Amino acid sequence: MANQLLEVKGIDVFYGDGQALWDVSITVEEGAIVALVGANGAGKTTLLKTISGLIHARKGEILLSGKSLSNLKPQEIVDRGIIHVPEGRRLFSNLTVLENLKLGAYVPRARPFFAESLERVFSLFPALKTRKDQKAGSLSGGEQQMLAIARGIMAQPKLLMLDEPSLGLSPILVKTIFELISALNEQKATILLVEQNITQALKIAHRAYVLKTGEIVMSGRGDELLANEEIRKAYIGERVSKR
Amino acid sequence: MSEFEIIFQVLINGILFGTMYGIAAIGLSLIFGTMRIIFFAQGAIIIFFAYICYWLFTLLGIDPYLSLILVIPAALLLGAGFYYGLFKEAAALEQKEVSLLIAIGLLWLMENAMMVAWTPNPRTIVTAYTSWVLRPGGLVIPFTRLMALLIALLSAVGVFVFLKRTRIGTAVRAASEDMESTTLMGINPNWVNAVAFALGIGLAGTAGVAFATVYSFDPMYGFTFVIMSVIALAFGGFGNVFGALLGGIILGVLQSGASFFVSAGWADAICFGTFLLVLMFRPQGLFGKKV
Repeated sequence: MANQLLEVKGIDVFYGDGQALWDVSITVEEGAIVALVGANGAGKTTLLKTISGLIHARKGEILLSGKSLSNLKPQEIVDRGIIHVPEGRRLFSNLTVLENLKLGAYVPRARPFFAESLERVFSLFPALKTRKDQKAGSLSGGEQQMLAIARGIMAQPKLLMLDEPSLGLSPILVKTIFELISALNEQKATILLVEQNITQALKIAHRAYVLKTGEIVMSGRGDELLANEEIRKAYIGERVSKR
Repeated sequence: MSEFEIIFQVLINGILFGTMYGIAAIGLSLIFGTMRIIFFAQGAIIIFFAYICYWLFTLLGIDPYLSLILVIPAALLLGAGFYYGLFKEAAALEQKEVSLLIAIGLLWLMENAMMVAWTPNPRTIVTAYTSWVLRPGGLVIPFTRLMALLIALLSAVGVFVFLKRTRIGTAVRAASEDMESTTLMGINPNWVNAVAFALGIGLAGTAGVAFATVYSFDPMYGFTFVIMSVIALAFGGFGNVFGALLGGIILGVLQSGASFFVSAGWADAICFGTFLLVLMFRPQGLFGKKV
């Protein structure tokens, strides 16, 4: 396939003695939305943390545009262009919206584009502009998620990794967030999306991987997986029957 | 002296002394913010810089206030040096006890080294202006104490502006909220920790000079000083520059009031008792927000 941006090749990841990922391989093409779905504890967040360098793989390799990221520190990986927007937003709640955005553009590579990134972010999220001097902690849940994504965009990402961006949001806001992710993608952003809202994620994803207890058990085009009987039963059906 | 004047005098003495605790507490608060430890060696470092100020004056005749020009950069460098030399490896660990033990080790090492090198005899700096006194409206304000207050306020404002206005200052504030998230911004945690240390020890340098011009000191006084600064910090709430300063002032006033109105012997016990009461009922400090 043309233009692999991210290649994860056969990684094993451990927490202490417990193995969390088993021989996981994924690829993300330039300009695509790739979704990573699966139940809680399947290892989705672990995979993102390994890519961003917070955890190191014991085996295997991770490449960005063909260059190895092995042994790089998280801050160096950010400077290469992989931006991880973590689960639970992890904003600096005592800092203002603008200060959060400034820190988003902290890396030397992103600094020269600060003004233009800020303009882009404010046009994507007008609410943040009116609240730029407010403390991040005073924003509503939806606005906080917008800020978390906006802070990621400030870093001029080559690859934006979003971990559970719709978690804890109202159905209307969930819709807004997914529309936004699609819109970002149309502006050429490459996105690796971790979601437990599997239906929505598969709808917007070009391709998706299904993780189960630390292993990739299935992969394919978003719409294919969405139509897949097994997936519907295991993940989507389960949700319907719960209601 | 009227009763009102006495109360006012006690208050002023307390405020002047309390700002010392205050700037030490700001340093502790900065280091605690990113490192999550109470840096117990802070007191010994303050006394170390009091000695530096003393020797610069005694041996080279350098005016104590002028010595700040040398002491502040030296203290900033020493702070960053302490971090890279002693704490860098330990800081990466999940267990913060290791860093805490290093800080305690550093406290004992410095106190004992100063004892050996400079004897346990108390030292005092006597300059031409040591006995100068301002008498506004019947009150007595020693010049050196007023200068100490000014130095303390200027350093607090300096640190505050640095944290608010600079990129790395903002990163230090962010790191005291969430170090991992700060790392995900591409910010090197070692750099942030080193800056917090540099500022913390820089403040210890200014506190040392201010202290040396006003009081006599000996190598072992650092421990008492750091305990008092921890109390000031607890009053003010962790992670708040002006809270820490105000915490120090409250402690100073309490101490000065207790020794005047009760007895000097009871003053420390009253301070510690109040500290426990505050922590019992407001564990977030007097000005801290509930977590």
